[in-house]
Amino acid sequence: MNDTLIQDSLKVAEKVVAKTTENNDSSNLWMWVAIGEFAIIIGLILANRFKRKPNAKKQFKDESLAQEVDFNNIINSSFHSNELYDILKVKCHPDRFPTDPKLNEIAEKLFQEITKSKTNVKRLQELKIEAQQKLNINF
Amino acid sequence: MLSNSWNNILDWFRDRSERSKLVRSFNESARNSFVGGIAPTLLKAKISKGESAYKHQFSNWLNTGYRIQAFTGKQLSKDELMHIGKVILNDEILVRKLVVLGWDTLEIHGDEGTYGCRWQLKDYIPLPKFNQE
Repeated sequence: MNDTLIQDSLKVAEKVVAKTTENNDSSNLWMWVAIGEFAIIIGLILANRFKRKPNAKKQFKDESLAQEVDFNNIINSSFHSNELYDILKVKCHPDRFPTDPKLNEIAEKLFQEITKSKTNVKRLQELKIEAQQKLNINF
Repeated sequence: MLSNSWNNILDWFRDRSERSKLVRSFNESARNSFVGGIAPTLLKAKISKGESAYKHQFSNWLNTGYRIQAFTGKQLSKDELMHIGKVILNDEILVRKLVVLGWDTLEIHGDEGTYGCRWQLKDYIPLPKFNQE
């Protein structure tokens, strides 16, 4: 009789152990899902915090860096803008067109632009072409 | 605070890259112009110590000078050095870039000794007052 009882209790114990293990597996799975969700939430919060808020200083810097510098024109202007400016300022001077008020006005505008761009060869060359076309000047 | 530090580190690396790019581009154009016969003198840009009295809100801690030095070729007079400086200072895009990348001094030097001209960059660009916001 005692042997039968022991065997029954062993069976019951085995059943209990089996059931407990099953429950542990499912609870483990849900624990990992929760950890995953938590990690995603933390990641999103950190990503949001690390996202840079635009400010005026940063914007000014970004705008300045986005523009391209024409170094070839700068080097060219460093050595050749003076001579081109000297030619243009003489040839396009408004006093050379005293009789025709229309030409005088064009020359006045061109002369102002030439003075403004005296250190920029590229712009001076454009103005030279403009002077040739509008004022019929031969260089 | 952490995000600020991280962004500052990123900015520092980006600025360093942009600074060396600006110097490299100038040197490349100067070399090509000299080789092609457009420029009678070979100019070379490099980073120098700068003048601490010229500091502005974008200034770096160290090496705040953008120095352009004449090398081989025709000797440059003081007027020619001044003219090169004016050409650079009249280029608004370049001055803006120099300022935001932490330079505050522009130096144009001849090839002999240490004679040359020096300008304060912040005089040539209207800088907004960001700290008052």
